[in-house]
Parts: sequence; structure tokens; C-alpha cells
Amino acid sequence: MIPAIETRGLCKQYRHVTALSECTITVPQERISALIGPNGAGKTTLLRLLAGLARPTSGEAKMLGDIPRQHPAFLAEVGFLAQEIPLYRRFTAEDHIGIGARLNQRWDAAFVRDRLRSLKVPLDRAAGSLSGGQRAQLALALTLAKKPRLLLLDEPVAALDPLARRNFLAILAEAVAGDGVTAVVSSHLLADMERVSDHLILLAESRVQLCDDIDTLLAEHRVLRGPRQSITAIEKSHTVVQATHTDRQTTLLVRGNAPVLDPAWESDEVGLEEMVLAYMGQDAAPTEPHLTAVGEEQ
Amino acid sequence: MTWLTWRQYRFQLGVAAALLAAFAVVILITGRQIAATLRANAAACAAGHPCRDVAGGGLFMGSHVIGFLVIATLSAPLLFGLFWGAPLVASELDAGTTQFAWMQSITRDRWLAIKAGWLLLAAAAWGGAISALVTWWYSPGVALGLNQFTPGHFDLVDLVPVGYAVFAMALGICAGTLLRRTLPAMAVTLAGFVAVRVIIVLWVRAHYLSAVTVTYNVLQGYTPRGDFWHLASGVIGPNGQLLPQPNNMNYFNSIPQTYLPGACSNLLGPGTSNPTPACARALSHFRGFVTYQPADRFWTFQLIETGIFVLIAAALLAVTALVLARRDA
Repeated sequence: MIPAIETRGLCKQYRHVTALSECTITVPQERISALIGPNGAGKTTLLRLLAGLARPTSGEAKMLGDIPRQHPAFLAEVGFLAQEIPLYRRFTAEDHIGIGARLNQRWDAAFVRDRLRSLKVPLDRAAGSLSGGQRAQLALALTLAKKPRLLLLDEPVAALDPLARRNFLAILAEAVAGDGVTAVVSSHLLADMERVSDHLILLAESRVQLCDDIDTLLAEHRVLRGPRQSITAIEKSHTVVQATHTDRQTTLLVRGNAPVLDPAWESDEVGLEEMVLAYMGQDAAPTEPHLTAVGEEQ
Repeated sequence: MTWLTWRQYRFQLGVAAALLAAFAVVILITGRQIAATLRANAAACAAGHPCRDVAGGGLFMGSHVIGFLVIATLSAPLLFGLFWGAPLVASELDAGTTQFAWMQSITRDRWLAIKAGWLLLAAAAWGGAISALVTWWYSPGVALGLNQFTPGHFDLVDLVPVGYAVFAMALGICAGTLLRRTLPAMAVTLAGFVAVRVIIVLWVRAHYLSAVTVTYNVLQGYTPRGDFWHLASGVIGPNGQLLPQPNNMNYFNSIPQTYLPGACSNLLGPGTSNPTPACARALSHFRGFVTYQPADRFWTFQLIETGIFVLIAAALLAVTALVLARRDA
């Protein structure tokens, strides 16, 4: 089975800023991939490149084997929802359903209507007069109604309250399980996505830090604790992702399955959040204060 | 996509239709009155009554307001460019709705072609309708010798307003695509439209076809047939030099006083008008000339000018399509 998404050396350079650098990832089909990274890490850029809304400076992306291009066959397979929740302000939900019905070969109008009714989002009011959450629900429903095989959602739950988040993620999980859909859903918080995603793409500083099935990633990483000591020996056999030293103890997050022979180290499994935070905090200048706080705790 | 375009623009199209209808009513009422006045004056002349100038005092309604309104239709194409053209792509880029529209199963080329196509058609139709009304309104004036080539008349009637409307739309669409914001695009559309129109009127239009120059005997004179476009005229002296024509001087058949041969000195005196044989011999070395575009080139000029504006519009739309396809949404 060809991968849902495969990129090689994808780069996006704006005038003076590198938004995405050397991005090489593979996402197998029928995954929900959490695209995690601090603000400004390049999540939106990556999604826009995959959707074909932006063109890469170099490198290439393949979506189900197809390079993003201006062709109805490609566009029909890819659903993209931008973070800004673009909707026509003066158009009602019904109007938007009408647009979708006329511009797509596949279109599930009933799905949108059912979903909006169950969420009590009015179908006959201008999108501009809906609340932020209602607009997000409308835009999400419209994106799903297109029935794409690849869903690219940029911070879709940011505008939703916790209950609506849970509800939406359940719908998403259902869509992926039932219809052979692959979704890449970005968020700057892992907590949003942890429950539903089985694949992780971690971006920081415009680079891919991690990209694999979550189970695989967890199996590859370990926490080592031992008395305070030099880590040069460990570095020969493992990649040290993060090292924290206190007066007495050294704690390491390492990648690699090679055995640790030195009995001074006590090896432990790593939690998903702990691993993600270690990678995010690894680069200089974490953008979000709470990440720094967690890092110091360790 | 047609449906989406209709939904997006139906209000504006409605407003435009209402304005056009109001304009039509004014033009039809005043136009009929003009024609009636003209017929009455002509009948009075024929009947030998004290014959006023056929055009009469109040031919164009004696109403400067209506006259001004008709002249103001010069700017109608610009309005299409400003309010339909400039926002066509820019407002969607600005609001981010391109990220919605372009992620449906329709290519950007097609999206642009259909949306711009319908609005170009609408602008052409409205421009054509206004032009038809104005042309009809002016027809009595043209019959009375209002020069058909006069800037401000040529530009208002027949085919060219359609070309201007298409051009203004394309300019607006292209500027909006390049600048990505509606207001700056409107400013560029305004400046660009006025600049191109002025350049064409002042420096290009007279050269669509090479002008005809006729030289003639100054004693006989010459007037081209029909409603021609006068470009230049004057007198060439015996040494082949073009005679200057200062304002504060007496003339005989366009020959300034100071250049008249000695034998003709009596011509400018009071009460004399016929040159002596000696004078006539001297004057045979002077040639009058007139450079002009013949009257029957009116439609050729209309077609050429329309063609120029349509071609510029096509180039602008090609640039738009190219930029949309290549640049990020």
C-alpha cells in the first residue's frame, strides 16, 4: 500500500524566513497523525504544501503517490481546513453546502446538515454572524462532507470548547476507521490529539524532529536515571535527546535500542508527553513559557 | 461556479441593473424631447418662418445636468473596474476564502475563468447598454454636425465603451491579484485606467491609420467631405516654409498679413476682396494643406480602439491566470 503522505527534502523559504527545512516524512494510510510543534514551527506551512496551496521552494511531496497539483482528481482527494476557518461571511451554512455540492463530484450534504442540526448550529444564518465555535463546526463539517481520502486540518479544535473537541475527535476517528481516510491534524498541544492519534509528526524550529507511529516511537525511547555523571559513554551508543542534571542525579532521554551495560543507569519507559516535550525543549528558546516550566521540573 | 458567482454578485448586479434602468429612463425621456424640438425647428425653417438656428437654444435640453450625466458615462467602465474587477480576486485573498474555494474540486484556472468570465460579460453588457443609450441620445446632435471624432464623443458612443469596460475589469482583476488587497487594487485601477485612456486619446488614436494630407490652391480652398477629423492645416509659403499663424494678425485665406506678396497688399484693405492678376500669380506659389482622418474611417477607428483595449485586457487576464497558478494561495 502506498503511503498516504510521503515528502522528500521539502523546503519552504519566504523572503528572509525559512518556514520549513528539509522535511522528509512518511505517513502510512489510515492513520490519524498528530502534527505537533510550538507556534511558528512550520505546521501550517507543511499542511499548505501538502494541500497544494503553497509551492515548495525545493523538495517534493506525494499525496497517495500524486504530487500536489491543480487538477480536480487531486483536489477531490484532499481536504484542507485552514486555521483561519475561511468561510464566506455573508453566506449561510446552506449556501456553503450549495457551493460544495456544485464544486465537488463527491459531496455529502446530508452529513453537514445532520451534524450542524445535532450541534444546534443554524443553517440559515450568515456565517459571519455565527460564533467562533459554530463557524469552526461548520467549516469542519464542510471539509468532511467533501469525502477526501486525505484530511489536513490546521488547528481545527482551537476554537472549540472541550466538549466539542471530544465530540469532533470522535467523529474524526470514526471517519478514519470507516472510510480508509488518513488525517493529519495539527495542534500546538499534544493533549488535544493524544486520545485519537496513532502517528506523530513533531516539528520544531522548522525541522522534523520525529515522524513515526507513536508505538514505534515509544519503543525507541527510554529514560535513564543514575547518579550524576558524564554522559559521554552513553552518547556512543544512543542519541541523547535531553539531559537534566541535578546535584546528585542525571536524567537522560535517549533514543536507540542498544543495551545499556553500565549498571549505574536505571532504565525506564517514556511517556508520550514526556518524549514530545523533551524534543520541543531541546532547541533553544522554547516559544511557550509552560514548556520551560515543565523542563525545569525534571 | 456560475452559481457561486451569481450568489456573490447578485446584489451588486441588482444595483447596477437599477442604476442602468434609471439612466435609461432619463435618456429616453430627454432624447425624445430633443428629437421633437429638432423636428419643430426644422419644420419652422421649411415653412419660412423666422428661422432660428435649427439646433435652437435648448437642443440638449438646455439642461446641463443631463449633458453632464451623459458625459459622466465616460467613467462608467471605470466603476466596473473599481467595484467588480478590483475585489474579484483581492477580496477573496484578503478574507482567506480562496483557501475554501480552491480546496473544492475545482482548479484555480477554472475558478478564475468562470468568475471573471461572467463579470467581464456583465461589464461588457452594461457598457454596451449605456453606450447604446448615449449613442441614440446623441444622434440628433450628430445629424446637426457634432463632430463624431471629438474626444468626449467618440469615447462615449458605439463600440469603444465596451472595450473600455472589459479593459477596466481586467485591470482591476489583475491589480487585485498582484496586490492581494482590494483598496490598493482600486487605487491602481483608477490610476491605470485614466493613464491608458489619456495616452490613447492624446497620442495614439490619431495614428491608427495614416492621416490623409491634401494640398490645394489657396485661392480655391478645400474642405474634406463629411464629418472628417481635422488634425492640422495651414499654408506653405513660396520657399516651402510653413507659415506661422499668430493670433493677433489679419489673414487672407490663412495667409498671414506679413507674408502676403506685395502685389496683394490691397487684399487686406477695407472693401476689396478680389486679387489682382499679379496678386493671383504671386499667390500661386502658396499652397494650402489640410491633414485629416476621413469621415468614413469612424467605424474603422472604433474597431481599432476597441481591439486595442480588448487586447490589453486579454494580456492582463493572462498575467492574472499565470500569477494565480504560480503563487501561493
